[in-house]
Amino acid sequence: MDQTVPYLIDLLAAAILVTTFLIVSSRSLIFYVRLFSLQSIMLGAVALLVVIGYGETHILVSVVLTLLVKAVGIPIVLSRLIDRIKVPKEIDFSVNTTISLLVCGFLVILANSVAEPIISSRPVSTAMVTKVLPISISVMLIGLFIMTSRRKAVTQIIGLLTMENGVFLSGLSITSGMPMIVELGIFFDILVAALILGVFVFRINRTFETVDSDTLRRLRH
Amino acid sequence: MLYSLQSTNLFILSLLAYVIGAVLGPILAPRKAPASSAGRRLAGYAVTAVFLVSAIASLASLVASYMVLSSRASVDVSPFPLTPFGHLTFRLDPLSAFFLLVISLVGFAVSIYSLGYARSFLFKRHVGLLLFLHNSFLLLMTSVVTVTNGVLFVVVWEGMSIATYFLITYEHESQPSRRAGFLYIAMTHVGTFFLILMFLTLFSHSRSFDFDSFRITASAMPWGSKTLVFFCALIGFGIKAGVIPLHIWLPEAHPAAPSNISALMSGVMIKTGIYGMIRVFFDFLGTGLPWWGFAVLILALGSSVLGVLFALMEHDLKRLLAYHSIENIGIILMGIAVALIFHQAGNDGIAIVGLVAALFHTLNHATFKSLLFLSAGSVVHSTGTRNMEELGGLIKRLPYTATFFLVGAVAISALPPLNGFASEWLTFQAFFRGFDVAELSVKTAMPISMALLALTSALAAACFVKAFGITFLGTSRSRHVQDIHESPWNMLAAMGLLAAACLFFGIDPSLVISRLQPVADFVLHRNPSGALSVDVARSISANPTVNEAPVLVAVLLLGIAAIAIVAIVVLRGNRRSRVVPTWACGLEGLAPRMQYTATGFSKPIRMIFSSVFRPSREIDVREPMSPYFKPTIRVDLKTEAIFDTHVYRPLMNSVLAALRVLRKVQTGHIQSYLAYIFITLIVLLWMAL
Repeated sequence: MDQTVPYLIDLLAAAILVTTFLIVSSRSLIFYVRLFSLQSIMLGAVALLVVIGYGETHILVSVVLTLLVKAVGIPIVLSRLIDRIKVPKEIDFSVNTTISLLVCGFLVILANSVAEPIISSRPVSTAMVTKVLPISISVMLIGLFIMTSRRKAVTQIIGLLTMENGVFLSGLSITSGMPMIVELGIFFDILVAALILGVFVFRINRTFETVDSDTLRRLRH
Repeated sequence: MLYSLQSTNLFILSLLAYVIGAVLGPILAPRKAPASSAGRRLAGYAVTAVFLVSAIASLASLVASYMVLSSRASVDVSPFPLTPFGHLTFRLDPLSAFFLLVISLVGFAVSIYSLGYARSFLFKRHVGLLLFLHNSFLLLMTSVVTVTNGVLFVVVWEGMSIATYFLITYEHESQPSRRAGFLYIAMTHVGTFFLILMFLTLFSHSRSFDFDSFRITASAMPWGSKTLVFFCALIGFGIKAGVIPLHIWLPEAHPAAPSNISALMSGVMIKTGIYGMIRVFFDFLGTGLPWWGFAVLILALGSSVLGVLFALMEHDLKRLLAYHSIENIGIILMGIAVALIFHQAGNDGIAIVGLVAALFHTLNHATFKSLLFLSAGSVVHSTGTRNMEELGGLIKRLPYTATFFLVGAVAISALPPLNGFASEWLTFQAFFRGFDVAELSVKTAMPISMALLALTSALAAACFVKAFGITFLGTSRSRHVQDIHESPWNMLAAMGLLAAACLFFGIDPSLVISRLQPVADFVLHRNPSGALSVDVARSISANPTVNEAPVLVAVLLLGIAAIAIVAIVVLRGNRRSRVVPTWACGLEGLAPRMQYTATGFSKPIRMIFSSVFRPSREIDVREPMSPYFKPTIRVDLKTEAIFDTHVYRPLMNSVLAALRVLRKVQTGHIQSYLAYIFITLIVLLWMAL
């Protein structure tokens, strides 16, 4: 088999990890959304490479959906949301950037060591699995970390979507794409989740005059 | 063969009839009164018909269980061969059949009683719901004593608890009802927790939830597991039975339910706890450690003495009866304790006497307690109050109810020739026989237990002198007693049936004992045709002290009474009697307020047992403005609920304090909740490395 395709996949996967780190270090909400869009485009490219390199044609649907929904649809919805709620476009951290980046570095190491037994247990470990699986686990963990450490509800949506990208990537790396029906289900899920969370954020903003989810504390009796 | 076939069919018939009743009830009984009088009459007939269905169901299972008891052979019934749980088999072995007999006897009487009782509040309350719950309650109790699988047992047990909960909160608009319901559901869940723990422990050794497999493996379990199972059963079933100190739900819950249901709960439902104990202690575990029996004995004595003492302080008729249920559960447990002690020691002769006494008292308590609750229900139904201090003189207006209540009261006070005496006498017999054993611990425990049982019976008699005297004798104390009339015939018929049963079991106890002995044989895993068994049978039924005693004592008492009457007649000579007003110490006439009150009656006992009751009195005297008016004096008398204040409150407070510390975890930040997930994930991944 041609070595270009696995090489390109590795490169793009690395780029996805870099965008994830950029999201962690970024300070502007709009930049967040754009980075997510970029990340999704690269994810679509990875999926496309899997189609070309491994002949898994059914992933083509996922490619189209990834590009349409994650790279275009959801970013547009989120940008409009950010415009409409008119909140300060900066990000509130509960953990500052430096420490966040350090934690993310640690998460990547953890992800690598976690992926180790999975990789070694596979009879034929393709290049794709060895490089991409640790990255996808890192992306998932970092997504969860973003959700945990940022205050604004919008950033939590981005965290969730990043996690989902990680899940998709790991699906690609281990099984060359999950069964069609699962993929469709996940896409539908994520779309609805993004829309609902968007509406939710809008409502929170209307009710509390802020999207700082700390204020939800008041709901506690 | 034909015999067992018939009982099988009857049992299936009764299950089906309960289901039909539960389904038809809510459909047929309308919530709102129909516009036309014909519609109203039709609705009344529908309610009657559904209660008749449940009566038929109980009658069918009554006959089925009696057949099984007589034939002394177990019968398996699998009406639904295919269920998600596998084979759903009901088994009528002698023990199940006996408890089924108790359930169906009381269930039959209560269904007849409810014909009249429920019609009185048709259209005022949701009678359809009552019909549904009544039938499901009976169905689930029937299932509890007949299922043969641990998982199914827990399922029907929980179902029974939930049905009871809705029956307790049937009058859901009243705050005490809801409180009682909450207390009940909380306590019963604690009990279910222990039962699940018990079944899981049994399962861990037998690898199956079948009762048969428990029977094989449980007796060979290590002592640690056996003791765990014993304690779980004692607590889990003890809560349902209302053993002190696990009783706190009982005096709240029983009065809160409608009276026909109180009769079922107090007469039958708490007995399912006894069923569970016998099933686990003897049938599953076989022999136990020596101190198990003593542990049960201590609980039994505590329940009976404290139960009756608390009952003495109650002026609420139904609460008083509820406390007496605790007392009688204590007496039943005494028999079980004797059986445990002597079965462990290998002296099955005495163990069987104890077990038969416990079973007999279970049957007797079911009859007389439901009789008492039904007649108390009639009183509450016609007067609208449960407070004895507002009643009085009811014997003139409710003569039949009063008679039936009196029969129940005499039975529960263990006076011959009624059935309460027969079984308490048998319990005494068990203690007496235990006295002959050389072992010192037994030799000391038996006389003490005997003394406490005697004390209990005496106090119970005092309590019912109070209950009957204040409620039915004297003159009426309040306006509640004006304008009341006797209950309809079907309510009276139900009470009459139970009263007849009380009398019947009391006059010829040997008939019952001879049927119960195979049950005890079965429970103790003894061959019914074995030599020892025959010997015990002879020693029980041929022993004049057991068998003939009630009749003998009755004859003696009647003799004494006859002598007294003769003496009175002789001493009086032929002086003529005059009818004059009661002498009121020279005052003008008698007012109802001058009568002896329930509080006054129980005062001596309150003083003697002041360490238990901790009575406190507040007297508030308001001096009048002018000397022409009398001062107003308010007296507040309180007795302390010691278990509530000294056991449950501190326990609850410490649990709440612990939870308050735990609550700091709930910060209200979404981020911290996410962080919990995140940290857990990281830690788990770290550990997996």
